[in-house]
Amino acid sequence: MVPYEYYVVLSGLLMVLGLVGVIVRKNIIAMLLSTELMLNAVNIAFVAFDMKLADVSGQVFVFFILTIAAAEAAVGLGLIMAIYRLRKDVDVNTLTELKL
Amino acid sequence: MELNNVAFWTFSSLAVLSAIGVVFFRNIIYAVLSLISTLIMVSGLFFNMGAELIGALQIIIYAVAIVVFYVLVISTVPEDKGQTVDVNYMLVSLPVGFLIFIELAYVALYGAWKSNTGMFTPEVVKEMGNVKAVASMLFTKYLFPFEVASVILLVAMIGAIIIGRKDHVLDEEA
Repeated sequence: MVPYEYYVVLSGLLMVLGLVGVIVRKNIIAMLLSTELMLNAVNIAFVAFDMKLADVSGQVFVFFILTIAAAEAAVGLGLIMAIYRLRKDVDVNTLTELKL
Repeated sequence: MELNNVAFWTFSSLAVLSAIGVVFFRNIIYAVLSLISTLIMVSGLFFNMGAELIGALQIIIYAVAIVVFYVLVISTVPEDKGQTVDVNYMLVSLPVGFLIFIELAYVALYGAWKSNTGMFTPEVVKEMGNVKAVASMLFTKYLFPFEVASVILLVAMIGAIIIGRKDHVLDEEA
């Protein structure tokens, strides 16, 4: 069996990649994609600790995270559609209406 | 080398490679295809850990349903012509991200995790099956969060329909 620490390290690596993606990319859709990466990293960590602790509560929480990810994708992409209709642009650097 | 080990290294290296693709591909369609690859590899890791229900749900919900949302939106929003990544941000975030990764890896490898174990030992799970074990937890202890999750999905669906509707943008222009 692979020790569970390796899974947790992999989860950390995916989390950092998602974080870098959210910071670095300028397209809103790509930022949402990086968020999905971070959610997946959390899922891996949950299931890995389940394996270690001989429990299944973490898998129940992964189920809830899947639900929330579906809701987040639906609402976020709806917002992106609305932003695109208003401004014909999805670059985050030009979204400065709230700036003083 | 055990088959379990081979599966872990294959799936995890492919998952990390495709995750790098998600972050750095210029064309957003390629990024979404890399995301599908990452999700399928993560699902393989779940199967490798013995979480069959979550692995199957990962493919059904993530790799199919959520990715279809993304593809639909990308087909209506044209690709922007600007830079893919902000170079200044990248110069800052790559070293900082590397430091965070080192920290997380150190904690994961040497952290003093508490080791009180639950009741679902491998023998119990082998007897009743992973799906039954997860379902028994989901429908007893976590029944109320389960119902709340269904309400959240309903609210998100209605909200997405209202936000994405065409005429409310036209109303403001009129």
